[in-house]
Amino acid sequence: MNTSTQAPFALEVSGLTRTYGEGVGAVHALAGVDLAFPSGTFTAVMGPSGSGKSTFLTCAAGLERPTGGAVVIDGQEITRWSEDDRTRFRRERIGFVFQGFHLMPYLTAEQNVGLPLRLAGHRPDRARVRSLLERVGLSDRAGHLPGTLSGGQQQRVAIARALVTGPAVILADEPTGSLDSRTAHDVLRLLRSLDDRTVVMVTHDPVAAAYADSVVFLVDGRVAGRMDAPTADAVAGQMAHLDDLVAVEAAS
Amino acid sequence: MTGLALRSLRHRATAFTATFLAVLLGTALIGSFATLIQTATGPVSSTDGETLMVLGAVVGGWGTLIVLFSVASTLAITVRQREVEIGLLRTIGATPRQARRLIRLEALVVAILAALGGSLVAAVGGRALLAMLRNGGLVADDVAYGGGVAALAAAAAGVVLTSVLAASIAGRRATGGPATVALAQGASESGRMRWWRVLAALVLIGYGLAMGVVTITVSADSADPYDAMATSGSSSILVGVGLALLAPLLLRWLSVLARPILGRSGPTGHLAAYNTSRRSHLLSGVLAPVIVLTASSIGTLTLVGIDGRTLAGGVSTPETHTINVLNNVVVGMLSLFAAIMVINSFAAVVSHRRAELNRLWLLGATPGQVRGSVLAEAWVVAGVGVLVGAAAALATIVPFGVARHEGVVPDGQLWLPPLLAAGVVLLTLLSARSAVRRVAPAAPAGQPALR
Ligand SMILES: Nc1ncnc2c1ncn2[C@@H]1O[C@H](COP(=O)(O)OP(=O)(O)O)[C@@H](O)[C@H]1O
Ligand SMILES: [Mg+2]
Repeated sequence: MNTSTQAPFALEVSGLTRTYGEGVGAVHALAGVDLAFPSGTFTAVMGPSGSGKSTFLTCAAGLERPTGGAVVIDGQEITRWSEDDRTRFRRERIGFVFQGFHLMPYLTAEQNVGLPLRLAGHRPDRARVRSLLERVGLSDRAGHLPGTLSGGQQQRVAIARALVTGPAVILADEPTGSLDSRTAHDVLRLLRSLDDRTVVMVTHDPVAAAYADSVVFLVDGRVAGRMDAPTADAVAGQMAHLDDLVAVEAAS
Repeated sequence: MTGLALRSLRHRATAFTATFLAVLLGTALIGSFATLIQTATGPVSSTDGETLMVLGAVVGGWGTLIVLFSVASTLAITVRQREVEIGLLRTIGATPRQARRLIRLEALVVAILAALGGSLVAAVGGRALLAMLRNGGLVADDVAYGGGVAALAAAAAGVVLTSVLAASIAGRRATGGPATVALAQGASESGRMRWWRVLAALVLIGYGLAMGVVTITVSADSADPYDAMATSGSSSILVGVGLALLAPLLLRWLSVLARPILGRSGPTGHLAAYNTSRRSHLLSGVLAPVIVLTASSIGTLTLVGIDGRTLAGGVSTPETHTINVLNNVVVGMLSLFAAIMVINSFAAVVSHRRAELNRLWLLGATPGQVRGSVLAEAWVVAGVGVLVGAAAALATIVPFGVARHEGVVPDGQLWLPPLLAAGVVLLTLLSARSAVRRVAPAAPAGQPALR
């Protein structure tokens, strides 16, 4: 599973739109997003609540079909594919980390990590699963059920699971949203340490965003700016500015 | 609290459909037979009175046991279904007592509405039942329907009381732990069984087996050939209900045996193997009616077969006729009810697991694999249920066969048990399929779908 692909961008979206509903009540969750994520980078996507961050991620992951535009992952344009084809592609080439961990409650940590391989019809390589658990610092918890793990530990199992297929890109939706700041710090450091991977993380927390190489800002389903080498203060300042923009728009 | 309960009910009407159906059917069934007893106390001849009494008490009695058991287990599933919500309520400051009260109130409202509906059905059903008995010549043609409010109210009250009791127990369990939303992952579900449940199971099984021993040692030698039937006839149901009470344990143990087979049948089998053993308490709600259905149908119908063969020389007296009708009514009634419970509880379990099945899809399972994992679980439940149920049926078949000199293995109709077992397996699989068809994958809106 060699992931250092030839394409310069692990994930590229162009003209991405997603509209919920029709007519007057239609919500344009994504109103034309063009973004490219270079291989091996860690990018945070920020924006106020309702700005379309989650929608962006689910469309990029092929979970949902966008209304328009293209999603290119690992050199493949997946938007027109059938549900089954997208599922197969997704479980091999995309690692997803959710806010709510989404571990299967009746499988041990080790079994949860191996699950994407199982679903793809492979027998998980025990050594590989073990080494991933070690990488996320949980080698001593391999046989534990999720119910006996703390939130931070569960999220680290989920990250190991996202890594198991050697995906082209890891997409994380508010991965620290359910964690306290100390455990969040551990999880973010772990995500940042994956420098051989492309990580795209949605968050609304400036402190979390500061762990990334760069930050992309979304407002009302559009890209509203970009910041390299972010600091928590700079991101917070930019966010406050964006909030003002939204407030002004709402008032007018 | 009452306002909250009513709003919650309206909001989650589908979640309570299972309970509603179980209470409605249960009341209809018990109520119909209760009217026979009330009719028996009216102006009828003493023989007719006795026939009606026996029918009402014996058949109604078994029915009651199974109905109450089903209502209780359905309610337990429904309450479990709401553990996330209950956890949320508690994190925002509801005390365990308040949460339990909410659960009890909801159960009470649903049960009363359903029992009212069930009583209406029973008023019609009781008349139909009596008409059937008159047409069959079991009672005189002039026996008039004497059922009324008393019988129906007693039946309804019994079912409602059971529902509230079951809700209290389920609520106690749901609020036992610390207040947390971590339950959203279905993580802290423990499969521990209460001591009284194990005790009740052991008493039922012990009683059923003892009746078998009595059949072989005492009533086999009795002058009346029906004494053996009287002592052994209900053993399969007794042992079946007893084993059904132990369903979580049985599923945990026996599904481990199925692991090697499931392990070889791809990712869906792998998932099913661990879900059935590590969360046996969830699927045990489906397993229980499968066991009872198998035990009562195989046990009673094989008994009818042995009876027919060994008494073939004897003339068909009114008594044999009555007993045949009685046996068939028992099987028909219980089978119908148990079948509905299988369908009902599978629907409840799958809808409870909707968020979790959706999660599987998010992780890269194709919709076919998601459905496949539930079907594989249904195979395990059906397999374990048929195995255990058939074993329970032996509690009737062996003693009665020995008493009627057919020996341990009946002389004929050996195709009957496999045929019934196949029917039960088919029913279980179809229930699972229809339940899982309603689960469509949905992209996450940040949170697992909670509908
Ligand atoms: N399934 C849906 N149906 C209708 N509207 C939706 C749906 N999902 C999201 N939306 C709307 O799309 C917009 C963007 O939502 P989302 O991507 O979840 O925002 P964020 O994650 O940035 O908070 C919001 O206005 C939201 O109400
Ligand atoms: Mg979101």
